[in-house]
Order: sequence, then structure tokens, then C-alpha cells
Amino acid sequence: MMSDIWILATACLVASSCALVGVFLVLRRQSLLGDAISHSVLLGIVLSYLMMDGRSEIAMMVGAVIMGLLTAWLAEWLQKHPLLKSDVSIGMIFTSFFALGVVLISVYAGQIDLDQECVLYGEIAFVPFDTVIWGGESMGPRAFWLALVVFLVNVSVIAVVFERYRLMAFHPVLAVALGVSVPMWHTLLMAQVSLTTVASFDAVGAILVVALLVIPASSAYLVATSLKTMLVWALGYAQLSVLLGYGLAVWLDSAIAASIAVMAGVLLLATILFQQLIQKQSQKASLASEAH
Amino acid sequence: MQNAIQFLSGLLLLFVSWVSSASPINVVATTGMIGDLVHEIGQDKVKLSTLMETGVDPHLYKATHGDMRRLQQADLIFYNGLHLEGKMQSILTKMARFKPVFAVSEKLSKASLIHYGSVSDPHIWFDVSLWQQAATQVLSKLVEMDAANQGAYRANAQRYQQQLSSLHQWVQMQIEGLPKSKRVLITAHDAFGYFGRAYGMEVHGLQGISTVSEFGLHDIQQLKQLIVERKIPAVFVESSVPKKFLRALVAGVADSGHELTIGGELYSDAMGLKGTPAGTYIGMVKHNVTTIVSALKRGEAE
Repeated sequence: MMSDIWILATACLVASSCALVGVFLVLRRQSLLGDAISHSVLLGIVLSYLMMDGRSEIAMMVGAVIMGLLTAWLAEWLQKHPLLKSDVSIGMIFTSFFALGVVLISVYAGQIDLDQECVLYGEIAFVPFDTVIWGGESMGPRAFWLALVVFLVNVSVIAVVFERYRLMAFHPVLAVALGVSVPMWHTLLMAQVSLTTVASFDAVGAILVVALLVIPASSAYLVATSLKTMLVWALGYAQLSVLLGYGLAVWLDSAIAASIAVMAGVLLLATILFQQLIQKQSQKASLASEAH
Repeated sequence: MQNAIQFLSGLLLLFVSWVSSASPINVVATTGMIGDLVHEIGQDKVKLSTLMETGVDPHLYKATHGDMRRLQQADLIFYNGLHLEGKMQSILTKMARFKPVFAVSEKLSKASLIHYGSVSDPHIWFDVSLWQQAATQVLSKLVEMDAANQGAYRANAQRYQQQLSSLHQWVQMQIEGLPKSKRVLITAHDAFGYFGRAYGMEVHGLQGISTVSEFGLHDIQQLKQLIVERKIPAVFVESSVPKKFLRALVAGVADSGHELTIGGELYSDAMGLKGTPAGTYIGMVKHNVTTIVSALKRGEAE
């Protein structure tokens, strides 16, 4: 029972962080950045392995965060090129980073088992087993504390610079005209993305993070009327996906992360269908009133 | 009334002692091979669950909610170690702080392992003599955990060790039956290093140790050259690794005029289906060896 609570709490925190950051990514049409980072971290892992000559987990984490930042930053930079759209720049960066990582593995480390799947990505089902022990007492899972720290960082950053982020998301031109340093706030957002994704990969694995960055924010985009309500809706969708997904995983004895991601998708689909239904009804109603 | 209470509590005590003596210990094994080992030694004295069932590549294993439960309720957990279980291994070593968790490869001496730099090859089960040491490790931990049944465990283990010894000799004889020049085993990934070392076969894999890594063009060229030069008649696919790369190799070699066949399917990282001959460790080894020997001998007859 206790372990179910720890898993749910960790998943809820990760989902909240991803949903909050995801809102800005969706608004800026960069929602696939999470997926991109999940691939380009391979290069960070390989480089830190080659430099440190061993599987030190912390070194690989640091390598992954740096590579995540570099991916986000380079994607942003390439986007400034007049002929490269944001999807192209993201797609270009992460595929070449991933490929470079594969090349390095086959040249220098072909005999060892080294990939992000087995070095970095955590498994949410095993969250309760990896506890922090402090003064002889078990203080709860490591992943939970990591997720809590990341969540608090995200909430406080967004709370403090909310107005700047809003300006940047909706009126980038106005922001420049008002003298707001857009590149600086971009970099801060990208740092948030990189930290959130890498820490969440470590806690709960990749699919869940990539899905939660995109889907709850997109569902929220369909129903929200302002940035604030969009953030709140995204949080709500994320929590509901976690609860329903966990229920699904218990019921079917399936992989937890994948079940949560599936439920996030189902909720998005349900929202779209519901909205279309409402639209049809109001069309019918207006037709009926015209006929009278 | 008093009597009734005494009677009931007596019944309860009886029930509790019956439950605690009859309920077998919960053992969790990560791979099918380890599960089979625990089954042979523990028989009906243990309640066994295996996480990676048939045909699952350990590199691609995803845990379910039930797996979390099974690990939590386990009295004793066995895993392979040497990074076979990937990141799950670091979880298992952390669980070892509050639960008996053991790697079956734990007691193997450093010299008996194959090393690549700082990392060891995890596929120890293909050297039957190494697997016998793993069996010894499983026995000693079962006895430690459940001393009441140690007689049964020891008897089962002794019987199984004899079977493994004769299996080891049988494999040696089979491979010795092949002419020296034909003792070359080419497979989809590097799972047979220990097999090659123990039974005197040269081993080449298309992929590295991990099934996730990719192979270089250079590797394929070298492999093609080796096959043509030494007139190797067959290469082998593996049950838990996609087959298309080896098919491509066969087609490539055919272009250079040498006839190469796929000698059959070997079980490498996972055993066969339960209830089939290859569904046990011994059955799996026998299947592999028979497949290898008959395919390589076929070339001899021509």
C-alpha cells in the first residue's frame, strides 16, 4: 500500500512539472523538445563515460543535463535561421547528437552495454525500492525527493517570471520592443526543460516524460482561455492521467508509465470529441432558431 | 465461555503454526534461466515468480505493476548481475539493504569472467561449469533463508549438479566431434563468449554485447571475409534478437558466391516457451548445441 502511495506521489509531481513546462513548450511550438532531449542525452552519457572511464551515475547525469541544455539551446539558435522552422531545427539537432553518440559507442565502447535505456532511464515501478537512508531511517524514495525538488524549482521560477514568460509566449515582438531580454528568458526556460526532463527520466523513464510534456498541455490548450487557466487545466489533466493510468496498470498488470501515457492520450481524445459534440449541438440549436 | 475462548485461541495458534510451516518462501528470479535454477533446487518448497518471461530480451524489459508487488513480497531475490539487468541492477543492489537480494554471479572469481575493459560479459549461463557455481550460490542462500528445508534443498541440488556435470561433458563431446576448422560460431549478438571459451569455439557476433548497440560496416565486411575464406557453412539467429540483420548478411555472402545458410535459431538471452523442450535450462543448452553441431556438420558432408 505504502509503495503505491510513493509511486503515485512521485508520478503526480513529475506530471505536474512536465505539465507546467509543457504549457510553454506547446505555446512556443517546441513540444517535441522532450523527445529530442531523450535521444540526445545518449551523447552526454557516452562522452562522460569516455572521459571518466566508468559508469559513474552522477557523471552521466551531469553529462545528460549538459547535453539537454545544449540541445535546447542549439535548437533555439538554429531556429533564428530564416529558412529553418522550429520542427526542422529540433529534428536536426537531436538526430545528429544521437547518431554521434552511436558512432562513438561503436568506435570506442562497442563491447559494453551503454545506452540511455540502461544507464539513465528509471522505472517507475521500482521507485519505492530506491530509498534515501538518512541517520539509519528510510526517508522515502530518492525519486520522490528528486521530483519534489524539480517541481518546487519549476513552480517558483514560473511564479517569479510569469509575466516575462507570458510576454515571450504570446507577444515575442512586443517583448523585444519593450526591451525585455528575450534570449535570457529563453535560456532560463530551456534550462528548466533540460533539468525537468533529465531528472524525470532518471525517476520514471522516458515515455512518461515525453508524453506528459506534450499531452496535458495540449488538452489544456483546447479548453483554457488564458495562460493562467491553461496552467491550471494542464495540472488537472496531468493529475487525472496519473490516477486513471495507475488504475489501468493495476487492473491489467501492465507497465505503469505506459499506462499513464495512454490515459493522457485518451483524455485528450475525449476532450476533442466532447468539444465537437458541443459544437454540433449549438449548430443544431442555431439552425433550429433560424428556421423559426 | 472461557473454554470456548481457549479453544478458539488454541485453534488460531495451530492455524498460524500450520500456515508458517506450510507456506513456502517467496522467491523472485529476474531471468528465466535463474528461475529454472531456483525451481530445480527449491521444487515445491519455494513459491517462485520470474520477472522476465519467455522471449523477453532483458535489455528491453519493462516492469509491470505486478512485478513491483512480486519484488515487494519476495523473501529472497536472485538476479544475474554483471549489468545483465541494466539499470534494474542498481535498484536491486539498493534493495539489498533491507532484503536478501543476491546475484548468482556474485561468487564467480574474477579470472573466470570475460572482461571488456572495466565491464564483464554477463552471459555466464552458456558455460555450464559456471552455471554450476551459480547453482551452488542459489543453494547456499536457500539453505540460509529456510534452514528447515535444507535437507530437501541439498538433495535436489546434488541431483541437479549431477545433471549439469553430465550436460557439461555432453557439450564438450559434441563440440569435439566437429573438425577444428569448423568450430566457428557466428550469431546475431555477442552472447556466446563463455560458450566459446568453455568448449573451444571461435565466436563472432554481428552486434556487440548489448542488443541495442549497432554494428559498423567494417564489422560486416570482416565477418563476410571470414565466412568466405574459411568456408563457414552456417550462421545462427537468436530467439530474442531480430533476425533481419543476419538475413542481410546471408544475402550479402551469397553475392560473393559462397553458400551460407541460417543454421537455426539459438536461445541466447531468454529460454524457450514453458512446456517445450527448450523451456528449461538443460533443454535450452541441448537445443543450442544440437542446432550448432548439426548445421556446421552439414557443411562438412558436402
